[in-house]
Amino acid sequence: MPTMPESVTRALRRLGRRLTLGLFLEIWPAWAAGSLLVAGLVALACRLFVPAAAPFLHWLWLTPVAAILPAAFICRRRSYRPAEVVAVADWLNGGLGTLLTLHETNDSSWIDSALAARTSAFTLPRLRPWRRLVTVPPALAFMATALWVPQRMPRQTNVIFAETIAGNLAAAVTELKEQQLITAEEEKKLEEEIERIRKGAQERVDASSWEAADSLRDKLAADVAEKQDAIKWAEQTLARYEAAAASGPSPDGIAAAHSAELMKALERLAERGLLAGAPQELQQLAAGAKLPADAASLKKLMASLAKHLAGVNGRMAGVGKLGKDARRFDPSEFPLGKSGPDGDGTPGRGGVTRGRADADLTWGKETSPLDRFKSQTLPPGAARSPDDWAPVVELPGAPRESPSASKSAAARQYSAVAGQSAWRRSLAPRHQSAVKKYFDK
Amino acid sequence: MTRADHQLVSQEQVADGQAKIARVVGALRQVLLGKEDTIDEVAAALLARGHVLLEGLPGLGKTELVKALSRLLSLDFRRIQFTPDLLPTDITGSHILQERDGRKDFVFHQGPVFTNVLLADEINRASPKTQAALLEAMQEHRVTIFGETRPLPDPFFVLATQNPIELEGTYPLPEAQLDRFMFKINVAGVERSVLEEILTTRVHGEPPPLAPVLDVGELRGLFALVDAVHLPRAVANYAARLVAASHPASTEAPDAVRTFVKHGCSPRAAIAIGAASRGLALLRGKPNVGFDDVRRVAAPAMAHRMVLDYAARLDAWDGRRVVAALLEAIPEVERGLPQTLETR
Repeated sequence: MPTMPESVTRALRRLGRRLTLGLFLEIWPAWAAGSLLVAGLVALACRLFVPAAAPFLHWLWLTPVAAILPAAFICRRRSYRPAEVVAVADWLNGGLGTLLTLHETNDSSWIDSALAARTSAFTLPRLRPWRRLVTVPPALAFMATALWVPQRMPRQTNVIFAETIAGNLAAAVTELKEQQLITAEEEKKLEEEIERIRKGAQERVDASSWEAADSLRDKLAADVAEKQDAIKWAEQTLARYEAAAASGPSPDGIAAAHSAELMKALERLAERGLLAGAPQELQQLAAGAKLPADAASLKKLMASLAKHLAGVNGRMAGVGKLGKDARRFDPSEFPLGKSGPDGDGTPGRGGVTRGRADADLTWGKETSPLDRFKSQTLPPGAARSPDDWAPVVELPGAPRESPSASKSAAARQYSAVAGQSAWRRSLAPRHQSAVKKYFDK
Repeated sequence: MTRADHQLVSQEQVADGQAKIARVVGALRQVLLGKEDTIDEVAAALLARGHVLLEGLPGLGKTELVKALSRLLSLDFRRIQFTPDLLPTDITGSHILQERDGRKDFVFHQGPVFTNVLLADEINRASPKTQAALLEAMQEHRVTIFGETRPLPDPFFVLATQNPIELEGTYPLPEAQLDRFMFKINVAGVERSVLEEILTTRVHGEPPPLAPVLDVGELRGLFALVDAVHLPRAVANYAARLVAASHPASTEAPDAVRTFVKHGCSPRAAIAIGAASRGLALLRGKPNVGFDDVRRVAAPAMAHRMVLDYAARLDAWDGRRVVAALLEAIPEVERGLPQTLETR
């Protein structure tokens, strides 16, 4: 048998729902504001340090929605027990205690009393969520500000760029090494240079890193071109030598010139490291041995040289495009060099890479190690002998030595071609002292 | 018996009890005009079988109220006019040497305390020793004389009066004595309209003649009914929180308590609130106690039980004002509305 009138039960249910809603709105704003603050901090951190997270940051706007879950959980744990709902209802009803009594006792003797009928007359409390929600807008503003912060390129990006730059160069060197087209000394120098470029790029990524890489790539390409020239010269020299040998006996001077040219070609091949892996007799020849005198040995040697040159030429074909196909530095593709919305490209407005037109000059931005001049020891000088001279050309109007003529006469005689007409100009008296003083000091 | 099995007093019983006590209250209101609040408080204390200390200026009807109450209840009534030379044996009674049949023997002569309603008039004029003679009587309803304990009649009420002025030669009641009074009721002055009514309806201020409206049996029936009045747990919790917060060390104590109260209320205060609330609920025709009943009896039950600091006297704070601050600070329901809800 019910102990409370139906109207009271309905009113209690309504009050219970209102209390639950009020409790949720009391708990959720704090969680929403807190989650927004945390999300804002996360967004800020990602903006500064994690560029890869940039596409996902807009999902952080859902954190207030996600905060519903813990809020609902806490709300459930703190939910009003039936006795507490009845106590609140009784208090709202004037604190008569009748509702509490009807709830606590199973006595239905008062269910039809005027007191019991009056207990459902309480007014539901009014919802006032704004006092608690007031913390949410500042948190939203913080979150929006954090997302509005432009994405920064952290130092880690430098490492990526540096590895990319150095990796390309290292690949080229590796290819040359595989084809046995560089000496160990060249390889060591190149690796040192690549390491220098990598470190410089790690310190600061800007156009200079790519330019240094391009420079090294150009140097590689030039080396390859020199090697190709040396091979081509050796081939031509060999062809001429064989042609001369095939045409029969030639004057000693011509044969010697062909031999000397062939030896020089071999020396150049050796200098360029192109005789690595060549037959022993070719290397001995490059080291200074003489060509064999007998025709059979000579022919065999020439065949060996031709075979070696053909092999080197084949390997060279693979690396011939080195320095031609490689992508050159394009400032428009350089991500850090782009003109941003901060007016980097508009004169007078300043930007991230320079100050405003009227800004003071600052000298704190030092040149990167890559851009600095590198000290290079010059070769020792050699004093030339005063007698070590020879006329290069004799001009038609060149002065001839004439001891009989005075200096002033000689000056007048050759003045037209001497280019010293200024001496003949007469100076105003007031200027003579100044000129004399200048040249006499 | 569990609370769920608690049987509420029936509507008829409550109506009958309310009618009986209403007869007493109605008659008292005829005697004392314009003192409805005081009469309600006295009636609540009577139903709760508590002692009452009435404090007020002379001539406000304190003694008349007690006398009228004793006449209405047809109970034995004694009055003691407390004076500085009053001795404890003047209250409790003493053994007197008497000769009977040739034998001399000590015979106990009961003092005025052996009565149903004891009016201790101007109680603060007696010495502490004499005041202390009432301690056991008020708390345990018995007196011990020469090692012999004698029970007092049932019911036993002490209704004391004291004058807040002319304090020279008086002995303020100690806290232990004050604590035994369920209520300390301040009897205030009357309004002009009441004075006009007294002048026009009374000859020489004499109250109308009173006839008993309740006999002892009916009174005992009312006591039983009051004991059956339901005290909900949430209401009891409210009373307990009120008393606990009267201590300055309590975390719930309001600033007024922390500033002005030296010692808070004893557990007797909570017991007094519970009992008096039950009496008041019956007086209001309810089968249960409500928050409103607790609020109504809190001041007379708690104000005299708090020991105030000297700062309270300097700032003109008394016990009732501190209790008002307590009622303001302590919410009725322990877990009230969420902050996002407010009453209309």
